[in-house]
Amino acid sequence: MTALKSVYRRTIQNIKANPVLFMPFAVFAAFEFVSLITIYLAPRMPLKLLLGPVIRSLWGEKFLHYPVNFILMPKLVSLARVCLTVFIGSLLTGVATLLVYNIYKGIKIDLKNIFKLALKKYISLFAIVLLFTLLFYLLDKITPKILVKYFSSGHSKLLFLGPKIWLGPILMAFNFTLGVIIQSAFIYAIPILMIEKESLTKSILKSLILFKKLFLKTLILIGLPMLIYIPISILQTNSAFLIVKLFPESVFLMSTFSLIINALVIDLIITLTATHLYLMHKNE
Amino acid sequence: MNKPRQTLKKLTLILAIFAGGSLMLCGCANDEYAIEKKYWKIKKQVERILRNPLASPPNELEKTVEALNKFSEQFPKSNLGLDAEFRIANLYIIKENYDLGRQQLRKIMEKYSRSKELSAQVLFLIGKSYELQEKWASALEQYKKIMQNYSETIRGLEMPIYIAQRYKAKFEPDKMIAALQEAVSYYKGIAARHPLTPLSFNLDMLIAKCYMELKEWQKAVDTLNLMLATYNGKVTFEEILLTLANIHSQKLNNPGKAVEILEVLLTEYPKSRYIKSAKEMINRLSAKQ
Repeated sequence: MTALKSVYRRTIQNIKANPVLFMPFAVFAAFEFVSLITIYLAPRMPLKLLLGPVIRSLWGEKFLHYPVNFILMPKLVSLARVCLTVFIGSLLTGVATLLVYNIYKGIKIDLKNIFKLALKKYISLFAIVLLFTLLFYLLDKITPKILVKYFSSGHSKLLFLGPKIWLGPILMAFNFTLGVIIQSAFIYAIPILMIEKESLTKSILKSLILFKKLFLKTLILIGLPMLIYIPISILQTNSAFLIVKLFPESVFLMSTFSLIINALVIDLIITLTATHLYLMHKNE
Repeated sequence: MNKPRQTLKKLTLILAIFAGGSLMLCGCANDEYAIEKKYWKIKKQVERILRNPLASPPNELEKTVEALNKFSEQFPKSNLGLDAEFRIANLYIIKENYDLGRQQLRKIMEKYSRSKELSAQVLFLIGKSYELQEKWASALEQYKKIMQNYSETIRGLEMPIYIAQRYKAKFEPDKMIAALQEAVSYYKGIAARHPLTPLSFNLDMLIAKCYMELKEWQKAVDTLNLMLATYNGKVTFEEILLTLANIHSQKLNNPGKAVEILEVLLTEYPKSRYIKSAKEMINRLSAKQ
C-alpha cells in the first residue's frame, strides 16, 4: 500500500523540480484576483453602472456604500470562486492532472498540447466539477434550513444542545466534514477521465470505488490542507468584526490572503497529492 | 524549465499592473464612494470622543470639529456634508458646550432655511439641548415654535404627543391631560385644512391615539368609526378594526361588539396578518359571553 509520506515526498520533489506545476493554479489565482478587484471596485464608477443594479436588487442599496460593501465582499468573492471553479477551474484541474501524469511518466512537457487535450475533455471536466459543487452547495444550504426549522418550531434543544451551538460550531464542523467527504468522493474522477480516458459516468463511478478503497488516505489528503482554511473562514464570516476592530479594507486584504492560500496552497496540494496517490496506487 | 518561470513572472507583472492601475484610477476618483470613505475616517474620530466625551481632551474636539467643518465645506452638496454639520453640533452638546452646539444648529437652520423638515429638526435638537440642561421652559418654547411654524412636517406632527409624553414621564398628569387636549385641537385644525388626504388620515389616527391616552374611549371609538366611513375603499382598515375590537372588549366591556368587528375583519381581509390573533380573540371573547 502506498504510504501517505511517500505521496507527499513525491509531490514536493516534483513541484521543486517542475515549477510548471504551479502554472494552472497561478492562472486560476489570477482569474480570482481579477474577480476580487472587480468586486472591490463594484461600488465605484464606472463598474457601479454595471454591477450596481445587480447588487442593489439582490442584496440592497446599502451594500454599494462604504464601508458596508465590505460586509458583502466575502459572499461575493465566494460566489465568484464557485463560478470560476466550475467554468475555468475544471479545465485547469484537467491541465494540472495531465502535467502530473507527464512528469510522473517522464514525458516531455508540452503545455500547448496538454491544454488542447484538456480542452477536448472540457464538457466532462465541467460536468464533474459542476456536479460536486452543486451537491456541496445543496447540502450546505439544506442543513442550516433543517436546523432553523427544527428550532423555530418550538424545540429549544437537540441532543442536549441549544440552537447557538448547533447553528454555530457544530454546523461549521459539519459543513467542513461534508466538504471533505464530497471532494474526496469525486477527487479521482478527473485523473481517471484524463489519464484512463474513461467516459464521464465511468470516471465518477470508478472515483467512488477508489475513494471507498483508499477511504482514510483520501480523507487525510483532502482534509489536512483544508484545515488551513478554517481560521480564514472564521474571520471571513465575521467581516463586520474586521471592519470595526481593524479597518474596512482589512476584509479586502483578508480576501486576497485567502485567495492565495486557497489557489496556491490548498488546491495545489489537494490536486497534486491526490493525482500522485492515484498514479502510485495504479502502478502497485 | 525556465519558460514556465518566465511566464509566471509575466503573469505576476500583468496582475500587479492591473491591480495597481485599477486601484489608482478609482483612488483618484472623487465619486460618492470616495466621499463616504473620507467621512468614515472622520466619523471614527467622532466615535473616539463619543466613547468618553467628558474625558476626551479639548484639542481632540477642536481637531474633529475642524475636520468635520472642512469636510462639509468640501462637499456642500452631499448629504454627508450636512450630516457633518449636525455632528459638530452634537459633539458640542455631548461635551456640554451647549451654547456652541445651539450656535452651530442655528447656523444650519440659516443655511438650509428653505427646508421645512430640516428647520423643524434643528429646532427640535435645540429644544433637546435645553432639556439636557433641564431647562424645560426654553425647550418647550422651541417645541411650540415647531408646532406654529412647521406644523405639517414629521416633527411638527410628533411634537404635541412628544410634549404630552414628557409630562407623563415626569408624573405631571394635569399637564399631560392639558397637552393631549391641546394636541387634539391642534391635529383637528390641520386636518380641517387638508380634508380627505393621506395627511388627514394620519391626523385622525393621532387624534384617536390622544383620546386613548386620555382614556376617553367613546371619543376614540367615534373617531375611528368616522374614519371607517370617511376613508372607505381608500385605505386598509385592519389596524383600525383591531383597535376598535380591543377598545370594545377591554375598555367598554362590550365583547359582543368586539366579536362583531373582528368578524368584519375576517370577512373583509381574509389574507390579513392579524387573522390568527383575530380568531384567537373571537374564541376567547365567545367563551366569556
